[in-house]
Amino acid sequence: MYGSLDVPRCSNVDATAHKSPVATFFPHCIPFSSNLSDLTLFPAPVVYMVAMCRAIPIGNLLDRASQHSDKLHSLSTMLSTMLAQDTDASYPTLSRMKMCHTSSLQTPNDKQQTLQVSEPELMSLARSLLQAWTDPLLVLSSSVNGLSHPAQSSISNQLQQMQEHSRTLEDGLNILSGRMGSPAQAIFSLPYRGGTDLGHDKITKLINFNFLLSCLRRDTHKIDSFLKVLRCRADKRQPELC
Amino acid sequence: MMKKVILLWLLVFLMLHAEGTSYSLPGKPTMITCRSPEKETFTCWWEPGSDGGLPTTYALYYRKENSEAVLECPDYHTAGENSCFFNKNNTSIWVNYNISVVATNALGRTFSDPVDIDVVYIVMPNPPENVAVAVLGDEGRPFLRVSWEPPHKADTRSGWITLIYELRIKLEEEDEWEIHPAGQQKVFNIFSLRSGGRYLVQVRCKPDHGFWSEWSSTSYAKIPGYFHQERSVWILIIVFSAFIFLIFIWLIHMNSHNLKHFILPPVPGPKIKGFDEQLLKNGKSEDIFSSLVVSDFPPTTMSNYEDLLVEYLDVYIPEEHELMLEKNKDSRDNCLKSERSTSDCDSGHGSCDSHTLLMDKCGGTKEDRWQTHQPDSQMEIDAKRQDEALTYAHEDVISPDMSSGRVKTWPSVFSPLPQYSLKPLDQPSSLEMAKQHCLSDTLFPPCSLSSCQTQPSHSTKDGLGSNYWKFNFSNKQLHQLHPNTEPQQQLQAHSDINICSASANPQQHNQRSSEYVEVQRVNEQDMVLLHPVSSGHGKRCPEMNLAENYSKVKVMGNDNVLLQLQREMTEKEVAMCTYQQDQQTSEPETITTTPQKPAACIHSALPVLDERAASGYVDTTTMFTLPTY
Repeated sequence: MYGSLDVPRCSNVDATAHKSPVATFFPHCIPFSSNLSDLTLFPAPVVYMVAMCRAIPIGNLLDRASQHSDKLHSLSTMLSTMLAQDTDASYPTLSRMKMCHTSSLQTPNDKQQTLQVSEPELMSLARSLLQAWTDPLLVLSSSVNGLSHPAQSSISNQLQQMQEHSRTLEDGLNILSGRMGSPAQAIFSLPYRGGTDLGHDKITKLINFNFLLSCLRRDTHKIDSFLKVLRCRADKRQPELC
Repeated sequence: MMKKVILLWLLVFLMLHAEGTSYSLPGKPTMITCRSPEKETFTCWWEPGSDGGLPTTYALYYRKENSEAVLECPDYHTAGENSCFFNKNNTSIWVNYNISVVATNALGRTFSDPVDIDVVYIVMPNPPENVAVAVLGDEGRPFLRVSWEPPHKADTRSGWITLIYELRIKLEEEDEWEIHPAGQQKVFNIFSLRSGGRYLVQVRCKPDHGFWSEWSSTSYAKIPGYFHQERSVWILIIVFSAFIFLIFIWLIHMNSHNLKHFILPPVPGPKIKGFDEQLLKNGKSEDIFSSLVVSDFPPTTMSNYEDLLVEYLDVYIPEEHELMLEKNKDSRDNCLKSERSTSDCDSGHGSCDSHTLLMDKCGGTKEDRWQTHQPDSQMEIDAKRQDEALTYAHEDVISPDMSSGRVKTWPSVFSPLPQYSLKPLDQPSSLEMAKQHCLSDTLFPPCSLSSCQTQPSHSTKDGLGSNYWKFNFSNKQLHQLHPNTEPQQQLQAHSDINICSASANPQQHNQRSSEYVEVQRVNEQDMVLLHPVSSGHGKRCPEMNLAENYSKVKVMGNDNVLLQLQREMTEKEVAMCTYQQDQQTSEPETITTTPQKPAACIHSALPVLDERAASGYVDTTTMFTLPTY
């Protein structure tokens, strides 16, 4: 199950799509050319980058990834608690029937199930979840301004941070998945269909906002858990981490 | 069946009425808290409300997310009372549970508020286990190594739970703990411990997104008492330094006297015989001066008045010249060698015939006259003395021609008269005292050596001079010395003069030869040139080369007029003087020796400034007019 971890491939990096993703997530993978746009033009740096990426043990990469995911989840927890405070919680919670837009993804529900999932699958799940929240985060950021909440500014600030961390983590997981085999490359598409507007009135907005945040909190926790499981499995040389 | 029911209700009704209490529905269960120790199982507890007086039962119902089925708690007993335990099979993570508790009694049921939980958010692990504390390190620097293990239920190996640890430590007697975050490691070192202290250590853990566990059970550690190596070095240094310090103190103590003299050389202070400093401090001036005042002065009786009869020495003094008597140093020395014996010199008897100014008459008993003259002189002194700095004003007159003790000039400091006022008995002692307090004999060292026949015990003739000086000083006019020239110098010169002249040895007065000189003329420097007239005694007469003669002043005029006292010269003295004179060789320094009949030792009349008259000794260096008699 864990045989294909150290696949020496960093070819999945899409240097043009993001701003220096490799440099942000994995500084060691920075090619000597700071201009990543050159990567598409000159394959030679790509080869160099591949060589550089191969040099870092995957355990370290996973460790860094799990740190990002940990931070991400902490931010989302803070957001949820922040929103729950200062507002009269008398507004009704959302109906049980409504589910997160990511609930269609089949994820393990307990420890046994989780431990039975293969690593590439775990990575795939993590990446899928992460990618599913790219758009909703944007929606949330845009909706904060219209949100009548006393902690509106701090919420907006934290949303910004979450976007940055999410982006960085996504890029890093892309690199990691390149070293974990082809099953890790699969990303499940989980589109967000909530629209850009959370609601027409304040109450509806708050309710929807709260609901989204709760979904975000769970999903980031899943991502974090998966990565930490992967971390402990990948690197046996550092038993103190696990 | 119906009967049973009716009976039951009757019973209840009776019970109600019999006891008289009111029963009600059970209170709402509250404070539902659920915790999961390892993210695999969880337990919920609730707080029951009032039971309403009736036996109440509690039931917990839960509903999972995305499911409509309401299920009841599978296990009410494992976790204790008022609890519900969900085992692994019943636990789903990342799933919302809606839990509520229902209290039921005979009258009805009461629902609690529902609680939504997600198992992954309520993780609170057990405390760490097997906390071990070991004291490691060498003697001087021990440290504690605390090691522990995660709770056995938490699966950290697979990475399912990531635990973060924290430990706290404190001394047994302290109150506040010292908290150390340890991260994910399971070993921790603690330094900077107090030797001999007993420490308490506790550890707790927390999942990455969860709650802190309880503190583990306390572990104890005893740090062995160790001796700081640094302290031992310091102790050695301190002991060594103390030892050296003691030795140093001992050395100083042994040489304290020398050190004191080296650092603070003793300043010779003036001391007047009979002058008690303590009395001065006490402020009783009368007592001070009373000791100096001779009781018999001024002489109330004139019994010795005939001693005062002397031939007056006619001294011609040019007006513009001061009358300066050149003293025969030797004679003067002789005269001064012994106070008593120099009475001859003091007589001022001008038995030397000449037209010289001074007529000396070496006569009279040595001692007797000396002593007798003393009261006279004393009287005169007191009478005339206002400024006893006469002699001291003439220090500058000291000529550099001093050789072999000869005084060419008139030592200004000479004022032997005061000494006469001392009691005869005190004279030797005074000489002694004077000797002790004599100033340095720098001026006339040769004089002191060659010319003076002082015995070694009384070698310091300074004493004599200083005695004179001191006497002057103490003679109620201490302060008057100061306006004049420095008394020190005067004293010095005086003493120096007296070195040659003074003879502290009272025994020598027998040998004292009164050298008589005859005033020949007065030169330009207001010096009275004398020539030895007669020779004194055998031994001392060789010293008559020195032109020091003293004439005793009898009366002092107001204008520095000297009246010379003349003494009768004893025959013996006359003979001696003659003898001496024959022997001596005249030396034309400032003395012209003329073979004359023994003249009384000319006692140079010292001009006393401001009418101060030494007893019989006058410094003629100052201007004065001497009435001729």
